[in-house]
Amino acid sequence: MNVQVLDRELDRLEGLWEQGLSDTYRSYLETVSDREPEVQPKLALAAALIEVGIRLQGLGGHAAPATTLLMGDLCLARASRLLADNATQAVQVAFAKAIEGLSAAAASGKPSRPVRELLVHVFSATA
Amino acid sequence: MIAGRLRFETSHATEFVDVTKLVRQEVHRSGLRTGRVHLQSLHTTLGLAINENEPLLLRDFQRLLERLAPGDAGYEHDDFARRFEITIDEPVNGHAHCRQLLFTGFATLLVEEGELVLGRWQSVFAVELDGPRHRELAMQLDGDFEPLSPTGRGRGSGAWASTDSELIEIELARQLMVDPDPVAVPMRRLMEAGGKRLRPKLVQLASQIGPRHDALRAASLAAAVELLHNATLVHDDYVDESTHRRGRPTVAAAEGAERAIAVGDYYFAKATRLIAEIGNIGVTSTMADALEAICAAQIDDVALRGAFPGDHDSYLRVVRGKTAALFAASCASGALLSEAPLDVVEALRRFGDLLGVAFQMADDMVDFSPSSGKPVGLDIRQKVLSLPLIYAAEDRSVGPEVRRLLAGSLGDEEVGRVTALVTSSDALQRVGDEARGLVDAAVRELESIELDGLRPTLVGIARSAVDRTA
Repeated sequence: MNVQVLDRELDRLEGLWEQGLSDTYRSYLETVSDREPEVQPKLALAAALIEVGIRLQGLGGHAAPATTLLMGDLCLARASRLLADNATQAVQVAFAKAIEGLSAAAASGKPSRPVRELLVHVFSATA
Repeated sequence: MIAGRLRFETSHATEFVDVTKLVRQEVHRSGLRTGRVHLQSLHTTLGLAINENEPLLLRDFQRLLERLAPGDAGYEHDDFARRFEITIDEPVNGHAHCRQLLFTGFATLLVEEGELVLGRWQSVFAVELDGPRHRELAMQLDGDFEPLSPTGRGRGSGAWASTDSELIEIELARQLMVDPDPVAVPMRRLMEAGGKRLRPKLVQLASQIGPRHDALRAASLAAAVELLHNATLVHDDYVDESTHRRGRPTVAAAEGAERAIAVGDYYFAKATRLIAEIGNIGVTSTMADALEAICAAQIDDVALRGAFPGDHDSYLRVVRGKTAALFAASCASGALLSEAPLDVVEALRRFGDLLGVAFQMADDMVDFSPSSGKPVGLDIRQKVLSLPLIYAAEDRSVGPEVRRLLAGSLGDEEVGRVTALVTSSDALQRVGDEARGLVDAAVRELESIELDGLRPTLVGIARSAVDRTA
């Protein structure tokens, strides 16, 4: 997959890309292979950003330091914009509900499904 | 007749708390068109006054009180050996009671055409004489009230009416009601503590401009915007290590950083879902862009603290993202929702952008206002980007000392000195002038578009956004 199509989407996140975001992105590419070809990279990146963003923030674990939290926030915001521009309404809603579920579980101190499993399920449920 | 209480916290021993805005909000909320607002202090060391809210004048008042009833003059009231029925925490406050004699404990304000009748320079003050304390004013409103309208346009076509604000509050309450307690309780506490609801107001107003006004959809979008705004505040407070917001402990301070992150994430996600469910691509995209701009600017803001207090260009870049982006998106998305013409949407977007920057400048000035109800100098302590500080640091006379102090560690003494230097310079005047200039520019954006009678309300909101000290 040509990563150049993602250049704009990686603005300010280049460091994260080098540090593992690229691997996470690739792992989602297969999941979105049934979508329109032009949106596949955007959807895969959105999912990867949510997974990485939540991990950076320390959601459900130890709180991240302030600057790391902000980077996690930016990942979630970028993912939200990617979904707004490229995903169907059903996918947007399903992703938002997934984050709501993860956050509510974290706030309650309850365990939740692994993030990747949850997001892959979102794609399959909205296919 | 409507009766209620105005409740607030004071933060200093002697303090002029400007309650004009609180009273004005109550008038708007009540729908009172023509009548009176009666205020009564419920304390023997809290007075009422109507005067000018000018920081130096307020200091003159404080000095006058000190001269007329000095704190150390010796008062029989403070001779506990001669008094009966004193409590274990009886304060030494004879001077405060004597000072209260100089004020009134009652005030009646007139209301015409739904607005308080006040002169240009008049503000309503609750005068704290023995603070800091929790204070209450009894309030009654009587006269002719506007009937509620089922259309959500109770104050006539095109205006933002009390029913609109009620719709927002109902929608917010409805949304919070269905959320799990671990996230809903802290968010409800934050939202019930106040907030100006400016962004949802802008959404609702803009949603009345196009041909497809739907009050319920607009309220849903407005509530989502307010939830999104508050979600960013929850994370901001953790980042800024703030202990209080709107007079109450922050979520991070009260419940820990982990909970704050979860609450912020939950409402960030919920707001984006509510927006997506509205099903308007333009609205979804506009709000997503704004959220991204907010997060990027927050990163810049923190990065710039290394070069505190920064410069004007950096300030504008951060503020346009952190604050103005959501103002602009609120205006634009409301208009998009109503299918307003593109030129109207873009004009409103520019209006919101300019208003948002002006709003932030006014907010910066509040940090130097002893009557604001907020602790003075908080932005200095937290090294938050602030235009008055930038201007004071550039000032020929006070600049060198301001820069030297800001470069070192900032204890109470240094914060107090920086505050005094800023106040003594023309920095606040410059910021005020600049903010008003931006509002003028914002208002000009509205001149060339058809607004279905909404212009006066939008102009009023814009003017009041920068004309505040509390």
